[in-house]
Amino acid sequence: MRFEVIRTIYEAALLDPRVIFMTGDLGHAHLEDYKQNLPKQYINVGIAEQNMVGIAAGLALSGHRVFVYSIAPFITMRCYEQIKVDVCYQNIGVVVIGVGAGYAYSTCGCTHHAIEDIAVMRALPNMRIYSPSSPLEARVITKYLLSQSHPAYLRIGKGGEPSPTKEYPIEINKGLVINPGDDITIFSTGTIISEALRAAKILEQNEISTEVVNIHTIKPLDVELIRNRAEDRNAIFVLEEHNIMGGLGESIARVICELERKRKPIFRCFGVPDQYNHRAGSQEFMRGCYGLNANDIAKEIMRLYKAA
Amino acid sequence: MTETDRLAKQAKIIRHLVLDMIYRAKSAHLGCALSIVDILAALYLGDILKIDPTYPGWENRDKFILSKGHACVALYATLAMKGFFPIDILGEYGTDGTSIGDHNTLGSLPGIETTNGSLGHGLPIGIGMALAAKKAHRSSRVFVLVGDGELQEGSNWEALMFAGFHKLNNLVLIVDNNNLETVGNTSKILSLEPLDKKIESFGWVVKTIDGHSFRQMTRDLSFNFRPYEEKPFAVIANTTKSKGIPFMEGDYIWHGKIPSPQEYERAKKELGEVV
Repeated sequence: MRFEVIRTIYEAALLDPRVIFMTGDLGHAHLEDYKQNLPKQYINVGIAEQNMVGIAAGLALSGHRVFVYSIAPFITMRCYEQIKVDVCYQNIGVVVIGVGAGYAYSTCGCTHHAIEDIAVMRALPNMRIYSPSSPLEARVITKYLLSQSHPAYLRIGKGGEPSPTKEYPIEINKGLVINPGDDITIFSTGTIISEALRAAKILEQNEISTEVVNIHTIKPLDVELIRNRAEDRNAIFVLEEHNIMGGLGESIARVICELERKRKPIFRCFGVPDQYNHRAGSQEFMRGCYGLNANDIAKEIMRLYKAA
Repeated sequence: MTETDRLAKQAKIIRHLVLDMIYRAKSAHLGCALSIVDILAALYLGDILKIDPTYPGWENRDKFILSKGHACVALYATLAMKGFFPIDILGEYGTDGTSIGDHNTLGSLPGIETTNGSLGHGLPIGIGMALAAKKAHRSSRVFVLVGDGELQEGSNWEALMFAGFHKLNNLVLIVDNNNLETVGNTSKILSLEPLDKKIESFGWVVKTIDGHSFRQMTRDLSFNFRPYEEKPFAVIANTTKSKGIPFMEGDYIWHGKIPSPQEYERAKKELGEVV
């Protein structure tokens, strides 16, 4: 996914000298073209995220379209105040690219896990949050961001994510139904959406028609779609690779709670509990620690759905 | 009247405006604002900055960033004196719903280039602007004013390292070196010394001057770039907090204290009439 993002920005930068790519000394395998062909539009600031975001703001205030790139927790939290004040408060065109969504850097420990990033970025006025689930979506969203001049956070995987076999249309700021169904809806975001799709298959075998909606735009949220499903479905679920506090789940829960009707659907968010995991392992292992896989969530959904 | 006398007179007017605004609004940071009045007068009214108040968005202008945003009342008054907007607008300061608050905000007034408030943000932004000017082959320079206490923020040292390494010779850092921060002396809380040697070691040319001497400032802030063409330029301007009001000078309490009616009257007297 990161390759598609870097490549898409590179191709735009070849045509537009205003586009600048900045890195906090990461992305070594994919930045040779920038170094060779676009040295004036590529800045490796070194390992100094606060300075990087400040410089990006100064460039954006001077008319540049700037992308800052690092591992998600570093680029969102080490320089959080710069993102708040320099980018969001001034409301300028800097795109923060966080690589390694959720447990993508699973073996590296909690320093490298991105399970709080959506929460902190969501809290910033003017910030928009994009969370593609595939390289194809990452490319479409990056192209969109190249045409915009507002603050944005692009949360992407570490690499090696499977790309869909065929292209599909993506409407920015709108949820995307990727598996139709009538009884329940699972909203999900990022690469963990593949587990939601597998869960839907299990549920369908158990006669629960399951819709899966890809929320690639977390902010602004597709409130209309969520309201519609909340009125129309018996149960709403959210699957996210993020702390259950402050993530997509709470974002959707607020919309449902604010519905002006007595009867509300069953709701449950599957995410990371509010704790740090001191074990290391594969991304699959880390997700599994909290039941964030198709089998476990299908089992829990069946229990909740049938008990209702 | 000499140029120095002219600037001194205008600085005195700014000090009166600053005192009046802060007293009327019952806000803080009087000492911090008075500390930089002479620097701002030299930059804006001594024509060091290449700017056009009738065309604030002029592409080739020099840019000024007040990183110690809590001293912005001095900047508001200076911009008004320079003609960026009518002086009456200063009367909005401290009123409900005003866009000119206790920290400078982008878009609030013509001539304000950035939003500041939290410390340690101005220098990195200035670097971005200086890089952009170089990329566009513009001759414009970027001046960033920081407080000495502000340099305790680590982001400044990331930025100092970057600017020196990248030889940003269109960047000027001015340190308002009054040796006072919120609750005491900078030298006793967390000393920066030897500040000149530290900044020099990051690849900058450093000059220490008297931040209240118009003669020195008009000479050294409007520097000819040639001697320093491969390095950014830092000016350590030695200043006195609350400068111009002797009973407040050098007392850290005036970082945050709001003057009482008696103190205001005394301060007006000590500032003296503008003749």
